[in-house]
Amino acid sequence: MIGHGTTTLNRYESLLLLQPLLAVGGVMPSGSWWGRAGACAAALIVGSTAATAAQQADDLSPHSDAELVSEMTSVRPGEAFTVALWLLMEEGWHSYWRNPGDAGMATAIEWDLPEGFEAGELQWPLPLRIAVPPLVSYGYLDEVLLLTEMTPPDDLVAGTTVTLAGRADWLICTEICLPASAELRLELPVDSSQPSRDAVWQGIFAETRAKLPVKVEGWDLTARRTGRGFDLVITAPPGRETTVQDAYFFASEEAVVAPSAQQLLGAAGRSMILSLAQSPYLRGTVETLNGVLLAGEGVTWDEAGLVRAMAVAVPVTGLVQPGSEAGQGGSLTLLVALAFAFVGGLLLNLMPCVFPILSIKVLGFAHHGGEDKSKVRAHGLAFGLGVVVSFLVLAVVIQMLRAGGTRLGWGFQLQSPTFVAALAILFFVIALNLLGVFQVGTWLARVTGRIAQPAGYPDSFSSGVLATLVATPCTAPFMGAALGFALTQRAATTLFVFGTLGIGMATPYVALSLAPSLIERLPRPGAWMETLKQLLAFPLLGTVIWLLWVFGLQTGMGGATSLLIALLLVGLVTWILGRWQAPLITARTRLVTRGIVALVLVLAGALVVRGSRGDAASDSGLSWQPFSAARVLELRAAGRTVFVDFTAAWCITCQVNEQVVLSSRTVADAFQQYDVATLQADWTKFDAEITAALESFGRSGVPLYVLYPGDGHGSPIVLPTILSKQGVLDALLDAAASTGSRRQTDSLRSMTSERSGV
Amino acid sequence: MRRSISTTTLAGLAIVTMVASNLGAQISGAEIGGPAPSFTLPDTYGEQHSLSDYSGEWVVLEWLNYECPFVRKHYDSGNMQGLQQRYAEKGVNWFAVVSSAPGKQGYHEPDDMNSLSQAKGSKVAAVLLDPEGTVGKLYGAQTTPQLYVIDPDGVLLYNGAIDDRPSARPESLEGAHNYLAAALDEAMNGRPVTTPTSKPYGCSVKYKD
Repeated sequence: MIGHGTTTLNRYESLLLLQPLLAVGGVMPSGSWWGRAGACAAALIVGSTAATAAQQADDLSPHSDAELVSEMTSVRPGEAFTVALWLLMEEGWHSYWRNPGDAGMATAIEWDLPEGFEAGELQWPLPLRIAVPPLVSYGYLDEVLLLTEMTPPDDLVAGTTVTLAGRADWLICTEICLPASAELRLELPVDSSQPSRDAVWQGIFAETRAKLPVKVEGWDLTARRTGRGFDLVITAPPGRETTVQDAYFFASEEAVVAPSAQQLLGAAGRSMILSLAQSPYLRGTVETLNGVLLAGEGVTWDEAGLVRAMAVAVPVTGLVQPGSEAGQGGSLTLLVALAFAFVGGLLLNLMPCVFPILSIKVLGFAHHGGEDKSKVRAHGLAFGLGVVVSFLVLAVVIQMLRAGGTRLGWGFQLQSPTFVAALAILFFVIALNLLGVFQVGTWLARVTGRIAQPAGYPDSFSSGVLATLVATPCTAPFMGAALGFALTQRAATTLFVFGTLGIGMATPYVALSLAPSLIERLPRPGAWMETLKQLLAFPLLGTVIWLLWVFGLQTGMGGATSLLIALLLVGLVTWILGRWQAPLITARTRLVTRGIVALVLVLAGALVVRGSRGDAASDSGLSWQPFSAARVLELRAAGRTVFVDFTAAWCITCQVNEQVVLSSRTVADAFQQYDVATLQADWTKFDAEITAALESFGRSGVPLYVLYPGDGHGSPIVLPTILSKQGVLDALLDAAASTGSRRQTDSLRSMTSERSGV
Repeated sequence: MRRSISTTTLAGLAIVTMVASNLGAQISGAEIGGPAPSFTLPDTYGEQHSLSDYSGEWVVLEWLNYECPFVRKHYDSGNMQGLQQRYAEKGVNWFAVVSSAPGKQGYHEPDDMNSLSQAKGSKVAAVLLDPEGTVGKLYGAQTTPQLYVIDPDGVLLYNGAIDDRPSARPESLEGAHNYLAAALDEAMNGRPVTTPTSKPYGCSVKYKD
């Protein structure tokens, strides 16, 4: 078998060097792995000497080499078998996936097969994301096998030889790109007996198969059109708790999803939603979303822990018409867009950002209930006008920002953590006021007072403006089509659509004020109003929770905690203001309390600013994989040095060690330098496997830090409970010293080590 | 009633957050049917060109990197120069834009760029230099070649590939459908553009790091 592999390679001139290595491979215990690794090494040596030659224009495959290889050593008539295009690339050069991403070209094979042979489609293993900001490509580094199923005819004659031939074309790039091609040729004997696997290649065929995306039973996937592009809704099988916290979708087809746009995974009940931006080159409708869904580092979709790349092929439901279609004068006419906008505006009143305002506004009507009907009507119209005018102003502002060349979507404010924090604090303060923690001071009266009990028509108008302002974050999901349409049109159309949105939102209020019979049915003002006012604080507090959640997604747990502390301080401030009210206290008390208020507010502000920057831990660049005993064994078998951090959220020592030592630049750099795999065993909730691991080190609790040397069998080093940077560095040195002999294999390992796909 | 409201609220919150927190930045700032982003860039002779200088006239922007094999396919075959000449005769202002950063492929000092353009027989009105990549990113230029058509009102009518053959092989030119020529011919005759966008192919634009 090895002999055959050698013959195959012999034909390939540039790989002549492989022969001795493969011969060695044949007697090594882990034959195929060594054979293949050797092949990589040799090919890369050849590749780099060929690098200079590549500058010569007549090299057909610069910086790379290709060969057609077969998984089986012989062909049996009528029995399908797998062949592969083996692409080897020089270090730093890449070829492309079926969808090359923002730039590039997919590798292609033009077959020239004997009569009766049929070639299946190319099967592509999971690609890597190759980012050269602002562009993102999908492709492969080092080496890749592109598989094809070959079906030979039934009437092949045993004892003869078949020749599979073809031409491969690919693009090989680093900074620069060069087209490459190779004439492929593979001779295989025809044999009626059961074909056997080629020992040299079976390992990499198996590895490649493991990286092919597959359907995973039980997962429910759906896709829907949104204003931004697509939402991929991912639901875990019933009864299964998912550990997926990060995912990336590679679209199989070009010009569907924008590769360089951010993909963010959010939760919605039991489902996760991955929001995808559409490609600016998308044309027509997308019937199905095809591609590969990659789970984050160290996480798999199946319970067996094998599948990180899940195949996706789901029909796209169109709740919202695509904006780009509309932009091209497609299905969404102006009239339809205006209808959408009006209904959307109406719906806005039910949105969480607006609902508290609506409630407060109804209070206002109740207040006016006893007054002159024409006055109520005028107030209603003034409020409506305020809403419509502010929508128009927003349209103008967006047009101006667009003209400035900044691409913005509706709801962009919520992308700024500082804005989210400010909104959370504002809603929190209003809620505390409604609950009666403090009385409406002069400054806050302008906010809540104007909404609830407008003094004059200008106040009604400005309460409409305020309602709109608060509503903006909620418009995104429902306004997708209308806004997508408007933003691709000229300014006048945009104004129309935004104006209609405003009219839609204002309609219930105006209707309520225009139909006196409805208002008369509203109860008279009385003590119930105070009860209602206090009750209304709770939806507001709910909104605060939501904003906190958004803030947490943006900045992490540390950021969210900062904001919570800031809210606590703001609460304290409002309590002080309520307890010592301005007119009732002496000048001295006033100075002291207001001084404290100012100080606490500064502190709260600082916390928000700090929190908005995100968690410090996430900056260190260390990526922690979840711990499992099997993972440790696997990594050690691959010759990696492994560091395990046994920790828990409630363990203060653990947190201090993580913040001060493990997240420090020095330690992170050292981990990187020694190529240490970092695993985290989170014992926050009881976990039998982690408990067992702790016991094996004679411990009954966390923290525990263990460093496994990279030689695969050396005894693990247990670090002290209270870590120091120097202590970690010394341990790394010790671990490295015990594995010094391994250094010569480093270059081999780096070629075969798994690369992160995300 | 309170209960149903809070359910609605939570459901709404979830959806809203999904969408609102995901309006990630995209690089393309130019949309078909919308105003083409305005810019001012120097050409290889130091003269400044603003898009507004050509208000009332047709403009073509061609992203250029002479060393890119896909660009070479169109220049070595004379295809690109032929198009440049044909539309220059119809009064179209055709500009090549180089967004390669200094030290990267496709970047040349102005004098070298002039000799190269002369050697290639380029027929563009001017080669504009965008070493910072500002205008490239403003237009969302991803590849070389990538082409844009702007009408006399300053509206972007086409953004995308030059033709439907994403290959660097010269023989792929035969029988190719040229999107750019089709867009210009339709638009200049007052007809809507059948294919206003297509995925551009070629080398990535070598932007500054």
